[in-house]
Amino acid sequence: MNDHRVVGKGLPRIDGPEKATGKAVFTVDVELKGMLHGKILRSPYPHARIISIDTSEAEKLPGVKAIMTGKDTSGVRYAFVDTPRYPADETPLAVDKVRYIGDEVAAVAAISEEIAEEALRLIKVEYEILPAVFTPEEAMKPEAPVIHDAPMEGTSAWEEWGAATKTRSYEKESPHNNLNAYTSYSIGNIEKGFASADYIREDRFTTKGTAHCAMEPHAAVASYDPIEDKLDMWLSTMGIFLKRFNLSKALRLPISKVRVRHSYCGGAFGGKIDAFPYEYCAAYLSMKTGKPVRIELTREECFMTTRQRHPIIVDIKTGITKDGKIVAQDVKVIADSGGYRGSGAIVVFLCHGFSFPVYDIPNYRYEGFGVYTNNPIRGPQRGHGAPQVRFAIDSQLDLIARENGLDPVELMLKNVRHKGDRLPNGDVLQSCGLTECITGAANAVNWQQNRNNPGAGRKKRGVGISASAMFSGAMYYPFASAAMVKMHDDGTATLYTGSQEIGQGCYTTLAQVLAEELGIGLEDVRVVAGDTELTPIDIGSFLSGGALVTGNAVKLAAADAKKQLFEVAAESFNVPIEDLEARDKRIFVRNDESKTMPFAKAVQLSVFRRNGNPVIGTGSYKGNPETDRYPSLAKAKGLFTPAYGFSVQAAEVEVDTETGEFRLVRVANFHDCGFPLNKTIVEGQVEGCTSMGQGQAMLEEIVLENGQLFSSNFLDYKLPLATETPEIIDGLVSTIEPNGPFGAKEVGEGALAGMLAAIANAVHDATGVRVRETPVTPEKILADLEKLAKSSS
Amino acid sequence: MKQIITLKVNGELRDAAISVNKTLLEVLREDLGLTGTKKGCDHGECGACTVLVNGIPTSSCLTLAVTCQGKDIMTIESLASIDKLHPLQEAFINHGAIQCGFCTPGMLLVAKTLLDEDPHPDREKITASIAGNICRCTGYVKIIEAIEAVAAQTP
Ligand code: FES
Ligand code: FES
Repeated sequence: MNDHRVVGKGLPRIDGPEKATGKAVFTVDVELKGMLHGKILRSPYPHARIISIDTSEAEKLPGVKAIMTGKDTSGVRYAFVDTPRYPADETPLAVDKVRYIGDEVAAVAAISEEIAEEALRLIKVEYEILPAVFTPEEAMKPEAPVIHDAPMEGTSAWEEWGAATKTRSYEKESPHNNLNAYTSYSIGNIEKGFASADYIREDRFTTKGTAHCAMEPHAAVASYDPIEDKLDMWLSTMGIFLKRFNLSKALRLPISKVRVRHSYCGGAFGGKIDAFPYEYCAAYLSMKTGKPVRIELTREECFMTTRQRHPIIVDIKTGITKDGKIVAQDVKVIADSGGYRGSGAIVVFLCHGFSFPVYDIPNYRYEGFGVYTNNPIRGPQRGHGAPQVRFAIDSQLDLIARENGLDPVELMLKNVRHKGDRLPNGDVLQSCGLTECITGAANAVNWQQNRNNPGAGRKKRGVGISASAMFSGAMYYPFASAAMVKMHDDGTATLYTGSQEIGQGCYTTLAQVLAEELGIGLEDVRVVAGDTELTPIDIGSFLSGGALVTGNAVKLAAADAKKQLFEVAAESFNVPIEDLEARDKRIFVRNDESKTMPFAKAVQLSVFRRNGNPVIGTGSYKGNPETDRYPSLAKAKGLFTPAYGFSVQAAEVEVDTETGEFRLVRVANFHDCGFPLNKTIVEGQVEGCTSMGQGQAMLEEIVLENGQLFSSNFLDYKLPLATETPEIIDGLVSTIEPNGPFGAKEVGEGALAGMLAAIANAVHDATGVRVRETPVTPEKILADLEKLAKSSS
Repeated sequence: MKQIITLKVNGELRDAAISVNKTLLEVLREDLGLTGTKKGCDHGECGACTVLVNGIPTSSCLTLAVTCQGKDIMTIESLASIDKLHPLQEAFINHGAIQCGFCTPGMLLVAKTLLDEDPHPDREKITASIAGNICRCTGYVKIIEAIEAVAAQTP
């Protein structure tokens, strides 16, 4: 197992020097000749009808080159989710109504950002203010204002291999007002399950919206060539092929006329995959003016309009037997989607899909509701549903343990799934390190000594733990990744991949996979990536499929190149191909080291003897090799993913019981990522997840009042700073995933999900205070401590 | 009204015709083509735009370019010499302190100032010195380790 030469090592990332010297070009750095600057006019109201828009004054402003409103784009509907059941509900610019503060109303292209901004001030919009609703439970009531009036019928842009599909007017069937998504699922018999339980409890937990805070603001540069009718886009994104698909539909350009390129991306965390109006507007304005147009969002716009994590209400009822077996669990999730569906239909599916693989519960019922409100739109964010639902499940499990005198670690161990388990949807856990993750993380925070041992002084200590699961890719457009390995005269290789570096280090890990498979060094690989014209398709850097899906494609492409090299060598040495092996850019005949040939020579021989073939290897891998179907979002049926990553977080906190102030002392974050392709990069993902999870558990909150955002900068929206860094113990639990390249699977999302419950449980262990709503803040702790003191006196 | 200013950037004198309200960040990125300096917030809250002005880490998004005439400005573009990375750059790369890389230029310049002033800072001093630079990717651990590693190499 350990004879790998390149994978598994903590090799320095290949994009390091460019990034360390300031040479790396990010989307915000792209500058084209004659480029115009775009700005977007946004709604100041959470819910209003547009009576009129007057752009005449703005048009007269010198330097203004084009203005667009909903009139120019009417008829165009698009969205991240656009299926027959959930047809697209967004328009690039508001047509009849605005549905949240920040909703796009008009866009301007001008010779400078200042002029574009001034032009926005000259556009007059007359609104009729409508009643608005800001909580999903209010919005579901029959008397609530209706946010999307007409059911969206017609032909969905969603296609199966070129054939547009009829929509099925989902809204008409919905039993509640303002519902935009509904997932239901059950196994066993929930009533019988609860009847067989010795102990049952019901709780409600809620989470607040959070922001991605990628340090590079969202940006798009569009350059349209009117002669060739061809559009070039540079996007700060996680999936160039999905972007190309969505943009070509919305702009009504053939897919082959849209080229999406990817510059370096200054962080994404799920926030750069949804379909965004600013991208559409940049493209449209470029098409209108024939000039390149650049739109960069301000930080305030990023907070307001680039999707946030769904605030979620979880009602959960769980029953256990005396010996700690969970026999029934009933989970109801309500997700506030904001003014448009965003990823609402996905998150209510994933709250089940990312969570259910953790504990084996025979009687289980799940219901998820996605609900429109007049809040900002919500989309995918690292873990996408898992942090919210794991917060509820493992907070409650901790309470159950305490009330029954059980140890939560033992309770978890008793109920977790294991390698070989088949989930009810058919997914088989071919690798599962949950047990090792739980014991490893618990030991790393000295669970046995520290649990129930808060200490005597004013400062109390406590420990808490939580677990999560995550997909490693799924069937989602474009359903697969392909890769190309081009050999060079000197025996080195170039990898062509459509995957995108977003900070996760995929260029390095994929190059390592190539190098290992082919028998060359990491320094012998160059990577050409992120260009829909140059590179083969890629599922994109979301749903955590990069390592497994794209990694497999790269491995197969390298194997193909190697096979071609071996064929010429076998011929030349007159030995069977099976006798050959490769290392250090050379081919060897096994057991006869005298017969050896450098790759360079094999490439040359191939050119001469195989009709000019310069050796190009190709490979591809499907989002899930076992199926051709999307999983059903509504019914949670069908196969979800080829492999699950698992992770467990244990936290130790110290709480000052006089002020409520508390500190995260230590986190043990144990991740089963299969085989870590690059140890340093995997640790980096785990540490990044820990920090983001720390922020979302303790600090971060999108503060809204009547739809108005009160946390739109880094002073009001606090995220972890260097001084708040806890001691982090990374535990890489190495299982070998048979579906993964060299055994690799997901890392980078799941390791965040358990942080919320781990910290809330640790605070409870220290103080007896149970915080049921994130973030866990000193104010909430103090208020509860005072209540506890009163009730005991 | 535009005004011609002369800035000394990375040891070179550079002229730019700018409006007086332009920030140093805008002039570096837009007029001088030095896009290594990043804009994360434009409000002095994230540290991505940090450059050294007379050796002092400064948020270039809050600094008017006209006020920098006659001062020495250093950006990330001159941290490495022509053919050799600065030890901090090496350490950031080798320790995994860079992920997306957007905070990296600012972080490196702050770290350089710290080590120039105190070649052997303790962990507390290191974290305090980079507390004004937000990194969303790394959780800071490897950045801190990279700085410690350079300090440990320094005699
Ligand atoms: S851009 Fe200057 S501090 Fe954020
Ligand atoms: S490396 Fe991405 S923000 Fe620091």
